[in-house]
Amino acid sequence: MFLRLTWLEIQKIAIRPRSYIGFIAITLVIFLIQLAMWIDGTSYIGFLTQNIEQTFLFEGKVLNGNLICFIILQTLIIQIPLLIALVTGDLISGEAATGTIRLLLTRPVNRTSIVLSKFFAGSLYTLLMLIWLGILALFLSLVVFGPGDLIVLKTDELIILQSGDVLWRFLTALALAYLALTLVGALSMMLSCFSENSIGPIIITMAIIILFTIVGTMEVPVFDKVKPFLFTTHMIVWRNLFESPLPMEQIRTSIYALLGHIVVFMGISIVYFNKKDILS
Amino acid sequence: MKKLILFLLLIFNLYAISLAQNPRSLIAGVNTKFKQVNNYEAIVVIKTEIPFIKMLPVSATIYFKQPDKIRIKSKGIAILPKQGIDDLLKTLADTISYSALYQGEELLKNVNVAVVSIIPLADTSDMILGKFWIDPKQSLVMRSQITTRTNGTILSEYVYGKFASFALPDSMTVTVDTKKFKIPKAVSADINNYNSSAKDPAKQSKKGRIILRFSEYKINQGIPDEIFKQK
Repeated sequence: MFLRLTWLEIQKIAIRPRSYIGFIAITLVIFLIQLAMWIDGTSYIGFLTQNIEQTFLFEGKVLNGNLICFIILQTLIIQIPLLIALVTGDLISGEAATGTIRLLLTRPVNRTSIVLSKFFAGSLYTLLMLIWLGILALFLSLVVFGPGDLIVLKTDELIILQSGDVLWRFLTALALAYLALTLVGALSMMLSCFSENSIGPIIITMAIIILFTIVGTMEVPVFDKVKPFLFTTHMIVWRNLFESPLPMEQIRTSIYALLGHIVVFMGISIVYFNKKDILS
Repeated sequence: MKKLILFLLLIFNLYAISLAQNPRSLIAGVNTKFKQVNNYEAIVVIKTEIPFIKMLPVSATIYFKQPDKIRIKSKGIAILPKQGIDDLLKTLADTISYSALYQGEELLKNVNVAVVSIIPLADTSDMILGKFWIDPKQSLVMRSQITTRTNGTILSEYVYGKFASFALPDSMTVTVDTKKFKIPKAVSADINNYNSSAKDPAKQSKKGRIILRFSEYKINQGIPDEIFKQK
């Protein structure tokens, strides 16, 4: 029954036009970045490394598929949660707004199964989006620009990873990004339980992510103690995969934090939805 | 007989001193030795020890052709000092562009070396001062220190082995002044990084080292000019 419910939810996601906005947006952004890098990538890289190139010279192929993929992942990290929330934030409140939730609840299934089936359907949607992102960002970039060592630019250091040591990092980074985006799905679904319209949870999800990201980005000492407790801090755990050596403790902490948030958000969703009076 | 021996020793020492104190002849010795090499190719392993750069050693091929063509080709990304690899011999070879001063002798790695400073004649030169520690017996530069307007002081140390007779080192360590590396978070997209390592004392060091280990020298076997064209 649960699988059938999940399959129904997947079909619901598939027939909604908005479900494809994310795929189209990702495709356009990636093509634009790849085109820009193809035309003017050398000067872009020169701008990033000008500080170092006053003293040192880079020898070898700096502009390559691995670097383009890394730039794409960095660029899309803010936008993808919005694209996910666009679908998952609507899973319950959308049905409340149209009134179909009452019909759904007349069927002989418990409410927990309904919430979980929607969550799994949303997670599958997230997975498909990340696979699409991986195909375009990594494999297409490698085909167009070729392989090469990856330069990871951080605010205060530069890490150069050898070409052969990069693919597993990207694949693991995508897996960790999936965990982070599942958290966004769980958050928006939780908010969706509290709402009767579909726009509210999407906007609130994005507002929370933007707010937390701003707090995380600002280099103000007063925020330093807060940053480890913001889930957005842990959402970029995928970047840690491009460190050398790997900060395993930090990666583990972030994975636990992400999983903990997902469990808490889904727990609240299930408890609230089970007690909710459906009045729409 | 004793007086004759003493006299001969005195003459020999005076001759040696006069020779050692002539910086031009020391530099000429180095230039002559290196001019035996019309071209060379070698494998070089580049190890980077720069406070804000993390990378593994990289293997590359170095090509050189007289008078001043040099190219380092690597499959991966290598970081090299902008100055300090090829400019030593280029600088010394241009004998009319500087005045040379003999500054005495020093013991460097158990070798008595002559210290020669060169000062460029042109005001526009990037180099302000060059200092060379030259082994007068082998006509080899053991250490050089070049002070520039743009990149501070570049210290290079050379270790010679099998190819000392061609003035080609087995290894070379270039120490450079490094500027603080900082790029905005918005540019690096390094957002939400609450574990910034900016306060890491190792990264506060203002010196960076690049160690080049040479092997498999192929000397005077000819190198096509196409190799030196940048791609």
